[in-house]
Amino acid sequence: MKKYLRLYRQSIRISFAAAMSYRANFILQSLIMILSNSLFPLITLLIYKTGASFPGWSLYEVLLLQSIFTISSGFANMLFSGVVWVTMDHVKEGTLEIVLIKPVKCLFYLVATTFSVENVAVVVGGVIVFIIAYSNISAPSLISWLAAIVFFLIGLLVMLALNLLMSATSFKWVANTRIPEMFTSVLNFGNYPSKIFPKSLQAVITFILPVTMVSCFPAEALLGRADGFMFLAILPCILFLIIGICIYEHMVTLYEGVGG
Amino acid sequence: MKKKLEHRLSHRLSVLKAVAIVTYKEWAAYRTHSMVSIFVGPVYFIVQYFIWTAVYGSKGQINGMELNQMLRYFGVSTIIGYLTMDFADWNLQMLVRTGKFTTFLLRPIHHRYFALSQKFGHRVLGFFIEFVPCLLIFQFIFRINIVPQHIIYSILSVLLAFFMNFYVNYCIGLTAFWLVQASGIRRVYQALASVFSGAFIPLVFFPTWMQKALFFLPFQYTLYVPSMVATGHYELAEITMSIPQIVGLQAIAVLVAFLLTELIYQRSLRHFTAVGG
Repeated sequence: MKKYLRLYRQSIRISFAAAMSYRANFILQSLIMILSNSLFPLITLLIYKTGASFPGWSLYEVLLLQSIFTISSGFANMLFSGVVWVTMDHVKEGTLEIVLIKPVKCLFYLVATTFSVENVAVVVGGVIVFIIAYSNISAPSLISWLAAIVFFLIGLLVMLALNLLMSATSFKWVANTRIPEMFTSVLNFGNYPSKIFPKSLQAVITFILPVTMVSCFPAEALLGRADGFMFLAILPCILFLIIGICIYEHMVTLYEGVGG
Repeated sequence: MKKKLEHRLSHRLSVLKAVAIVTYKEWAAYRTHSMVSIFVGPVYFIVQYFIWTAVYGSKGQINGMELNQMLRYFGVSTIIGYLTMDFADWNLQMLVRTGKFTTFLLRPIHHRYFALSQKFGHRVLGFFIEFVPCLLIFQFIFRINIVPQHIIYSILSVLLAFFMNFYVNYCIGLTAFWLVQASGIRRVYQALASVFSGAFIPLVFFPTWMQKALFFLPFQYTLYVPSMVATGHYELAEITMSIPQIVGLQAIAVLVAFLLTELIYQRSLRHFTAVGG
């Protein structure tokens, strides 16, 4: 365990050092990330300016939901999304052996060494929008906060599972750099109030591809709308993560090392 | 003189054809990459469909657009995106950063022309693998009327958008001569372009002062203009233009972008060290 912690700490240090070697680009990139993550709520703002709305959701409630989505994406990008690209590269080049012979778990090594400090800016961008939205809704109770935090953390696990599934796909669909786009398009369903979708689609995005847990349920919890149904949805999320890990581990065993 | 000009033109066309064919074949080996669009495009559209259906609710019109016009706009803009898609900025900044750009300075061809020829080959492949299947999906499964009102002007406008996208991206790629690592500025542009080109929302939703500013920025000429030309009606900042007028304006904007590319290119070469970074 100590070894893993040391490895993770070292990886964070290296990520900082790498970012600092192109300081101007790093600063610019951080500013851009904050800017671009502030642009997405702009669309919601423009829709609401016309007097239109998502039924049952005020402007700030939608912004709250979308800021949680951004924060979750930021954490995912910072902590484990790099595993997709690094797995893709190793499979393409046929160099995953270099990782497999190391005396640590392959998945952990890849996750740790792809820690991305640049994505702190995405989290910051999301937090800015969150604060604006939060200050315009009625203050949630402590229970609501706790439920929202639980849902948010479970949502992060869903993001991890999605990233693992993307990485696993790259073992078979070698060098396809557009795999993430497929998953991102599905994740897009989680960026809006789930009630706007038909019931059948709501069931899919809650129990099969549980992307509603990423931002919709945490936002609903903060708005005091959490119910037993949402807590029930935690189970498929955990199952989704287990499936993600199992498929990834299985694909590692199928790795042929020939590149592509 | 005329013969010399003809010879030059035919040489340039043969270069374009050769580079485009090679690029086409190169990317055809990875055709499943492009096929991802057949999944991604319709999924995004489904999300848009439910968003706008919910937003319209019982409203007949929002900002002068009805729900079916809005859905048509998103359908058209999605498939136009497949014809104009470009990553010349990424290619160029990579060549500069690695020092590989040197090889292009030794070739008897302008790098911009080479990159443009590559884009032709790449998008011809995109036409068959992304554009046609998605067009069929939108037209026959989603029942969105994709057929343009003015076919000739629409083709012209898409072609101009193709050039506009390329020249602007090329300018972004040229910043690598100063910055070496230009991924930051690329992301700035991509973030701005995704919003101000009209990919997420028609530009008539923006405040009027911003709509006016968009006439002087490249974004609308890459997507909003060809999409509106295809739908047969163009309006921005409360200015209604006929289809020939807006296509003419788009042509002027492309010319300005071309001149700007040349100007920056000439200056950028003075900064090239050929050692990478």
